[in-house]
Amino acid sequence: MSRVIVVTSGKGGVGKTTTSASFSMGLALRGHKTAVIDFDVGLRNLDLIMGCERRVVYDFVNVVQGEATLKQALIKDKHTPNLYVLAASQTRDKDALTKEGVGQVIDGLKEMGFEYIICDSPAGIEKGAQLALYYADDALVVTNPEVSSVRDSDRILGILQAKSKRAEEGMEPIRENLILTRYNPERVEEGEMMSWDDIVELLGVPLLGAVPESEDVLNASNAGVPVILHEGSPAAQAYEDIVARYLGEERPQRFLTAEKKGLLKKLFGK
Amino acid sequence: MTQPIELKGSVMSFTVLKVHSDDIGQVQHALAEKVQQAPGFFQNVPVVIEPTVTALPPTFLAQLMEILRQNGMMPIGLRTQDEAIRQQAEFAGLGIFDIETGKRARAERAKREKGESCAAAPGKLVLKTIRSGQQVYAKNRDLVIIGSVNPGAEVYADGHIHVYGALKGRAFAGAQGDETARIFVSRLEAELVCIAGLYILAEDIPPAIRGKAVTAFLQNEKVEFSELP
Ligand SMILES: Nc1ncnc2c1ncn2[C@@H]1O[C@H](COP(=O)(O)OP(=O)(O)OP(=O)(O)O)[C@@H](O)[C@H]1O
Ligand SMILES: [Mg+2]
Repeated sequence: MSRVIVVTSGKGGVGKTTTSASFSMGLALRGHKTAVIDFDVGLRNLDLIMGCERRVVYDFVNVVQGEATLKQALIKDKHTPNLYVLAASQTRDKDALTKEGVGQVIDGLKEMGFEYIICDSPAGIEKGAQLALYYADDALVVTNPEVSSVRDSDRILGILQAKSKRAEEGMEPIRENLILTRYNPERVEEGEMMSWDDIVELLGVPLLGAVPESEDVLNASNAGVPVILHEGSPAAQAYEDIVARYLGEERPQRFLTAEKKGLLKKLFGK
Repeated sequence: MTQPIELKGSVMSFTVLKVHSDDIGQVQHALAEKVQQAPGFFQNVPVVIEPTVTALPPTFLAQLMEILRQNGMMPIGLRTQDEAIRQQAEFAGLGIFDIETGKRARAERAKREKGESCAAAPGKLVLKTIRSGQQVYAKNRDLVIIGSVNPGAEVYADGHIHVYGALKGRAFAGAQGDETARIFVSRLEAELVCIAGLYILAEDIPPAIRGKAVTAFLQNEKVEFSELP
């Protein structure tokens, strides 16, 4: 049995691709055969974050249009034999993807025995984002703790519930999970950002985990290594937790509260 | 002095935009192409929208209007027989044109208006949270929502509106002008509350009433609130 997981947000630049890369790496490292697809046609960057951009010969669009086979287009990850990347095309325009074509690719991946198929959605709520979520069984809704991001996540949840295949065919609804990224408890406490409990209350979706704001994310993506592999980094621990919880492990939430400042720090500031 | 205004029946001609697709992205694309061919021609042109597909997504019209405006056109009305789309048009602020013209349409409408009273119809029941970008309309009746109305969502009823959850978006009761319509909410955090066209914005809602279980009603042409017992 395979599961199709869409990583989506509505708003751009909130951490979908970062999350797709680390989440799929985390699943693969635990022994699950995983494929991750970049739906952001025209703005290829999953392959950069995964560090395989120089090995892209054929891409997702080539497969959808029948110009290459899935086998030819799947790029095997350097770190684990369980992970494969299907890159987006930089040269085609967004209309190159069709519902039928995407469906065939996903069926093909299922036949090849992939347990998890991760779909890295483009930003927005229009065609590209709708295609990325159409075949999903599960959704990871990525949100930053700010009003506009939460609002967009709310919109995308409405679309998940109305325009996905599961919704259209009256099947059991998509399982929704919330991932808060770039979470900064200090700024939340100072009232500059929305708190996690307000966000969960508004969206009505269970929190899978929070990823703290961390410089390691940018460094990792510059190095072409998913941040989950960055040992000792809080962002890596957060994604590790998220993968474990997704697979059913109980782990207490972390990174949601600010560390208590010592008396000296309190007196002399940060 | 002459009258300040005068109403005259007249027949004017409009550009009719037939919409054959319910994919807003596709429509947007096609429109942009058309406009590009003759940019000047579409500037400030009044447009009547005529969808030939049914079951449009709930925010389709609103999105389409926005796209038309972005392209310099002025959406003024809608021509369709589809009741669901007509409802969208009403709260998008579009005029409605009947497809059959003349007597027959008018006779039909008169029949409709005289016909079934809404008294017996139970309220429209929604068992989930209304999310940003979504709209719900209870025509000729009350609206009951078991769930919240999130910021950026809009709920309309010709009768009362009951929200058993938080009202964080916008609510319009008495949408056809019934000034006795009320809004009942378990938690008031609204962006806007409107009854029979008279509204109050978030910033004008008394802080003492925010977050409370309240009812909103009209008194002396003003939206007032009182706490529920
Ligand atoms: N936890 C984090 N801490 C710090 N920076 C982060 C974090 N997560 C993501 N970023 C940064 O935010 C930016 C956007 O991230 P990413 O590309 O993953 O977002 P996206 O949602 O995929 O964007 P798009 O909508 O353009 O596809 C990147 O520069 C990334 O390094
Ligand atoms: Mg991305």
